[in-house]
Amino acid sequence: MFKQVLFAQWLTSRLALAVLSVLAFALPLVSVFYGSDLATTGRGGLGEWLLVTDRVAQVLPFFAVLVGALLGILAWSPDLAGKHVYALSLPVPRAVFVALRFGAGLALAILPSAALAAGAAVASLAVRLPPGVRAYPLEISVRFTLATLTAYAIIFALASASRRGQLAIIGAICAAILLDLALLAFGASFSVTAEALNALTTWPGPLSILLGRWALFDV
Amino acid sequence: MTEFAIETQDLQYRPGPGFEIRDLSLRVREGAIYGFLGPNGAGKTTTIQLLLGLRRAQGGSIRILGREAPRELPRILSATGYVPERPHLYTEFTVAQAIRYHGVFYTRFDWAYAEDLRRGFRLPPDARLSRLSKGEVGKLLILLVLAQRPDLLVLDEPTDGLDPVVRRDVLTALLDFCAQRAATVFISSHLIHELERICDWIGVMDRGRLTAELPMHAFKNGIKRIRLARAPSLVGDTPFTLVSREATGLDEVWVVRGWQPPMMQWFQGVGAEVLEVIDLDLEEGFVELLRAARSPQAT
Repeated sequence: MFKQVLFAQWLTSRLALAVLSVLAFALPLVSVFYGSDLATTGRGGLGEWLLVTDRVAQVLPFFAVLVGALLGILAWSPDLAGKHVYALSLPVPRAVFVALRFGAGLALAILPSAALAAGAAVASLAVRLPPGVRAYPLEISVRFTLATLTAYAIIFALASASRRGQLAIIGAICAAILLDLALLAFGASFSVTAEALNALTTWPGPLSILLGRWALFDV
Repeated sequence: MTEFAIETQDLQYRPGPGFEIRDLSLRVREGAIYGFLGPNGAGKTTTIQLLLGLRRAQGGSIRILGREAPRELPRILSATGYVPERPHLYTEFTVAQAIRYHGVFYTRFDWAYAEDLRRGFRLPPDARLSRLSKGEVGKLLILLVLAQRPDLLVLDEPTDGLDPVVRRDVLTALLDFCAQRAATVFISSHLIHELERICDWIGVMDRGRLTAELPMHAFKNGIKRIRLARAPSLVGDTPFTLVSREATGLDEVWVVRGWQPPMMQWFQGVGAEVLEVIDLDLEEGFVELLRAARSPQAT
């Protein structure tokens, strides 16, 4: 059953997956284009190179969100056209079907992550680093995978919610913004949205994986 | 097993202002081929979706194949073949892929029978569903539900928009299956003459209410248009159901339900003269029933 759901999801996601996987493989390699023999480069050249690789690495969390969000949206795309009638008329409990779809999306999300890991490994092997500078291909790959899966899980959950549920979430966000505006008008320094964002983006908040240091090469 | 494959009691559903399913009590006997008739917007598709848990009823109860819906929905759906009003299959699939995908969800899926039907319907296995004609998609939907070997088939306008040749193929496959398995069929259709040929029970739905539910023979033989002279102005107890009456000059035309020839005596007893008794076919009977249900006296 899982194999068939995975296959259905693969059919609708394969083009996006191919493009995303190629990009994921290519992104770590960008650093190599700016130089590969850093052991003989002077201090100034090394600093400039590290700056470029750092900028490339800063793109990765956004790319992870893009990959996760796209896969989360595409997970339900086979059912969207038929207004979910097919999925709902199959003889499996709804929770089981949602789990099958979620699992299939997770399995597919491994492809861009594996491509990024391969790209990071190739980039690390292609560069001669001076003493004191290290490559972190495994760390950045794990980080990218976790960020992708987090984004996928959030978007999948939103896409799986009923229209009423989605409206409730949008309503809650709008209410928080309105409350902030009201607090601002009264001169209060407290912000609901800032507190919520802080809770989400600092450990153990689920989005904390997106922040922090993303670096393939570092001291 | 129970006597009824589908049994609803006082089903209520109101998605918004302007439409509601009200006090719907349906009874579909096991082994019956039940035609579900009604004009556009009568609530046929909504009723089917309520039965199969695609919509949640706001009141009343539903039992399908002896099980309570929606509590036992997965078990109900495993024994039910459903063809929706609009094709719902994944259009990225080929015919063979669609069969494989569908089959893994049903423990009783008959792969050999599916292949036989595919060949019989001349459906190319490698053809993508997005490239199939409407008739081919219709045949594929019937193939999938028949290969499930279901105890109950729920078909929502399964032949709508199909050409006569495809329609005949689909209905033949359906009737062959019913003859082999004694399955119950609940079929909604606009094509009244098609239902007349295959159904043994009919239910008529209008404006969210079930206006009639009776065996086909009773419907076909029991609904008559009677032209009368000297019709009584007041009608008391009658041995039949007076659906409507209309003056045409000196005569009157009555449409009655539950008619039998010995009832002629009743007219003699009230001083009326029966000039003509006209058989109504299913379509005419259906129209008369709707007209009667919509008349001010009926509400």
